[in-house]
Amino acid sequence: MTVSTHPRRARTHVTGAASAAVRPVLESPRRRARVLAAFPTGIYLEVRTDLEPSVIAIITGEATRLPNSVLLAADLPHVTVGDDASVGEGTIELGRLSLRARRWWDPAPPLAPVDPVRLAVSLDPVRPAPGLAGHQAIELLAESCARGWLLGVVTAAEQLVGLGPGLTPSGDDVLAGLLVTLRHLGKSAGVERAVWLADWLAATVTYDARTRTTPISATLLHCAARGESCPEVTGVLRALTGRGALEPAVSRLCRLGHTSGADLAQGVGIGLATIRALAAAPVPPALAGAR
Amino acid sequence: MSTDEVVLRKGVYRDSVTLMRISKTLSDLDGVEVAVVAMATPLNLDLARDLGFELPAADPADLLVAVRGERAEAAHAELDALLSANAPLAAASDSEQPPLTTRSAARRTEAGVVLVSVPGEHAYAEAVDAVEAGLSVMVFSDGVPVEQEIALKDLAAEKGVLVMGPDCGTAVISGVGLGFANVLRPGPVGIVAASGTGAQQLSCLLDLAGVGVSHVLGVGGRDLSPEVGGRSANRAIAMLDEDPATELIVLVSKQPPVRPAVPAKRFVEASADLTATAEHVLKELGRPVPEWPAWPAWAGRTVTGALRGIYSGGTLCAEAGGVAGTGTFVDYGDDAYTRGRPHPMIDPTLRLEALAAVAEGDVVLMDVVLGHGADPDPAASYAHAIARCPATVVVALIGSAGDPQDLHRQAAAFREAGAAVFTSNAQAARHARSLL
Amino acid sequence: MSLLSGPPRVITVGAELLGEALDAQAVPRTAVAWRPPLPGTAGALTRVLLDPRRAAANERAVRRLTAARPHLAGVRRAAEALDLPPRTFLHAGPPITWDRASGPMRGALIGATLLEGWAADEREANDLLADGRIALEPCHHHRAVGPMAGVVSPSMWMFEVRDEEHGGAAYCSLNEGLGKVLRYGAYGPEVLDRLRWMDAVLGPALAAALRVSGPIDLGALIAQALQMGDELHNRNRAATSLLLRELAPALVEAAPGTAAEVLRFAGGNDHFFLNAAMAAAKAGTDAARDIPGSSLVVAMARNGTDFGVQVSGLGSQWFTGPAGVPDGLYLGAYGPADANPDIGDSTITETAGLGGFAMAAAPAIVRFVGGEVGDAVAATRSMYEITLAEHPAYQIPGLGFRGTPVGIDVTLVARTGVLPVVNTGIAGRVAGTGQVGAGLVSPPAEAFTKALAALTKRAAIQ
Repeated sequence: MTVSTHPRRARTHVTGAASAAVRPVLESPRRRARVLAAFPTGIYLEVRTDLEPSVIAIITGEATRLPNSVLLAADLPHVTVGDDASVGEGTIELGRLSLRARRWWDPAPPLAPVDPVRLAVSLDPVRPAPGLAGHQAIELLAESCARGWLLGVVTAAEQLVGLGPGLTPSGDDVLAGLLVTLRHLGKSAGVERAVWLADWLAATVTYDARTRTTPISATLLHCAARGESCPEVTGVLRALTGRGALEPAVSRLCRLGHTSGADLAQGVGIGLATIRALAAAPVPPALAGAR
Repeated sequence: MSTDEVVLRKGVYRDSVTLMRISKTLSDLDGVEVAVVAMATPLNLDLARDLGFELPAADPADLLVAVRGERAEAAHAELDALLSANAPLAAASDSEQPPLTTRSAARRTEAGVVLVSVPGEHAYAEAVDAVEAGLSVMVFSDGVPVEQEIALKDLAAEKGVLVMGPDCGTAVISGVGLGFANVLRPGPVGIVAASGTGAQQLSCLLDLAGVGVSHVLGVGGRDLSPEVGGRSANRAIAMLDEDPATELIVLVSKQPPVRPAVPAKRFVEASADLTATAEHVLKELGRPVPEWPAWPAWAGRTVTGALRGIYSGGTLCAEAGGVAGTGTFVDYGDDAYTRGRPHPMIDPTLRLEALAAVAEGDVVLMDVVLGHGADPDPAASYAHAIARCPATVVVALIGSAGDPQDLHRQAAAFREAGAAVFTSNAQAARHARSLL
Repeated sequence: MSLLSGPPRVITVGAELLGEALDAQAVPRTAVAWRPPLPGTAGALTRVLLDPRRAAANERAVRRLTAARPHLAGVRRAAEALDLPPRTFLHAGPPITWDRASGPMRGALIGATLLEGWAADEREANDLLADGRIALEPCHHHRAVGPMAGVVSPSMWMFEVRDEEHGGAAYCSLNEGLGKVLRYGAYGPEVLDRLRWMDAVLGPALAAALRVSGPIDLGALIAQALQMGDELHNRNRAATSLLLRELAPALVEAAPGTAAEVLRFAGGNDHFFLNAAMAAAKAGTDAARDIPGSSLVVAMARNGTDFGVQVSGLGSQWFTGPAGVPDGLYLGAYGPADANPDIGDSTITETAGLGGFAMAAAPAIVRFVGGEVGDAVAATRSMYEITLAEHPAYQIPGLGFRGTPVGIDVTLVARTGVLPVVNTGIAGRVAGTGQVGAGLVSPPAEAFTKALAALTKRAAIQ
């Protein structure tokens, strides 16, 4: 930080839009935060709070509207990793900016009801190949979900949390896609056991996510556990309920990140298969046993 | 020595609200008594003549600049800076062509909705562009003839889109506030409104109760008339019926002569008391009804006179008049007052004059509407007048906790000026009545 | 995407305050740079826009305009090809009488009278014309167009262009070259000698060559020429070369004795193709005529005194205003004082999405018309604001192969106040002077506002 002999300049007040998921953190008493990462289209802030999302993304219009993000109506400030910031009392203070939300969007919009027999069979084609394509834990997850075998699901999920390189490891993205699908599409298709599975899976992945994966990915897992995701995932789910074309929605999702979009799509695909299987087999013995 | 400087500028166009802001900035300069910057329409020329300016012959496409004061010339230099700061679209390079029509804009972007606020006589062209391009449109403009409204809405039915308006002041689409709208949390209530301020009161009360809104679809004050026959209300209700985010639909309208089709979802028709309606909605959703935030006045004045309603929102004015059952109520947002000047939700002038004219011992009941598009700091505009006013002042403060003006700060400032403040207009009216 | 499926992108038109409120919410928006329509047109505009036939009629009209497939089918004498009444000359632009005709128009009419041998000398020709003993009719009334004065007399040879999509035909005279020429009002001995050579040699040779080659696809040539730096009004160098490449073998085969001089003549005139381009444009705009309710412009033309437009939904009625003096570069010692008001049917190229509308394709001639390459791009971009379509075949490489703006809509001209950009040659105001320059000209707004007013009378209001 440079020391200036000039009087401290006034803060620049800017506004934007925010995911409604961020509102509780934003409206709590003010807490300290620090810059975790800074990219041309987004700055990640880690907030000292027990609430989730504890990592907030300050983004520009070009970035993905992650469920933990605040979209700025102005340019991002110049900050470096480790810089101090604060969040609370309705305001984010970052660099010279003082940011308030003028609009809230729903990161978990409800889906229209759908008859499970009318659901698409799969999301093909998912390109590029998901980061963990063919991995044994993915196979276990898919198979256990389809059978409603909770122990298998939990075992696979524990292997997958934090698995893979990068800011959001592939394993986390797959789990996030799966969680959101089971919760929303399960509810919309009237497959209660899918929602029940989502509850268990959510408890498993959020239990120690903060210690097992990156802070950003942990926050996104917490969001996914509550059914919150980005519009690209919602778009695919919506298309699965017959609102909009599926293929373009899948390709929009797959364009996110390096393999993040494809990993999310893989998770959505596993969720879709699970809902179809659970809807087709009214009383799977494995699930009954787990109950 | 004070001089008049009158100049006509060719080929410069800015909308009336922008020019009003520029006029105000110039009038506030040292050495300037009065400044009129307006398009040279017959109406604006008359206004300038009334101020005593001598005017040359002008074309309505000219920009009239009339300044009086010791430093009138300096104001012209300042004007150049203001005009360039308010240029509609500073093209980034010579080869960029801004869209000149809605048709052109719709061809180059994948938009979801068009907001039309050009003067009413020009609104049809822009609105029909939107509908022909397959886009829903909000026509904020007023003064659009009913046959144009019907033609637009029939075409919209063919194209499967929604026409909100004309004279639609408020809409919220998935949280995006269009026109005069509040910052609302997402939620299960969908509102179809023939009354903008009515929708604002209802949605703000729900938001204060922690219940969000999926969408507010305005339809225009005339939609439920026998001529228009609820063309847009029916379509809006059908759209909300289809919308997965909406669980319950509320219709806000001043006693509609035409009743729209009833949706399949839970449906509430707003009563004349919007607070009662909000409470009804909360009960339908199984949510507790809170105490509506209110801030009593610090001290009371003796009341010996009558109740005077000084309103900016038509529906709020009617609601308060109905609840109070006595007094004189004036809606300064009515066409009769807004011709040639901005809406009182933006420009306090008329209501400041009204406040200055009330008698000692009267009770003044007034609405202050917060949100997008409204006065950025109404307390600053009115506090002085309220403090000086010899009457007892009751303010119905229509806003949500997230509004840009900061509901709580506004309430504190009005209270500091001596007013009692209510977030429920009906409660404000009852309180005012009780003082008599 | 349906309206309610998520936060929408917004187009705003009107009060900036409401747009700024959206900016503060970080809502992506496109702002329309709106301004009031041309003075006095607001009422008429709304009435025309309310005509329930308009949208479909305009769609149909512009589809026919852009779907036309102009082919150069032959070269024939005007007397055979056009239904010319006896003792009649055709001329450019809307109807005009001798007493109102400008210098170059009069010069061209005198020259044609001499060429036809209807008068022995200039004075006698002048008297015949002044007395009305030779009738004058617009080329446009006879499926024809003519550049500059556009005078067509019965013996002249015409390009015959057939629209293979809709079956129509359009005609344009043969180009005489630059310098002192009839179309600029010159009628000296060298002018008449050249016309007689065209009559005796050029016309018959081209006719014979086309019989051998068969119809030549002008649409394809125009599309290629746009990608080679022509805009097909003030620059036709590439198109002329392409046409000669098609014609040359047939010419050698069909007229071996004169092929060399014909090719030398045509090859020495960069504007040889202009007349073919004009007939091709006319074939397209004629296909778009007479569609009830359409506000599409199907002709813009000038006679040196008046600028006129015709509109699809208004039949053959002309709407006129005074022709302006072009702004541009002058040859030699000539200057604006020597310039005649705007003249010629060549604005049919702009009407069909070429010429000034395709300026961005022709950076080589931007200096003619006001400076930098950026100006040319800006001119073309501004024309998208007043046109109904982008041409499916005529594309501009510099704009990412975007189709040229095509199909001027009278309502869009009135709404935006943007007038068509016209590239043109400048004729000397004194008869016999010839070309004095080239540049840009702005049509009179009243031609469009009068057409708009006429549309209101024919509007079928529900």
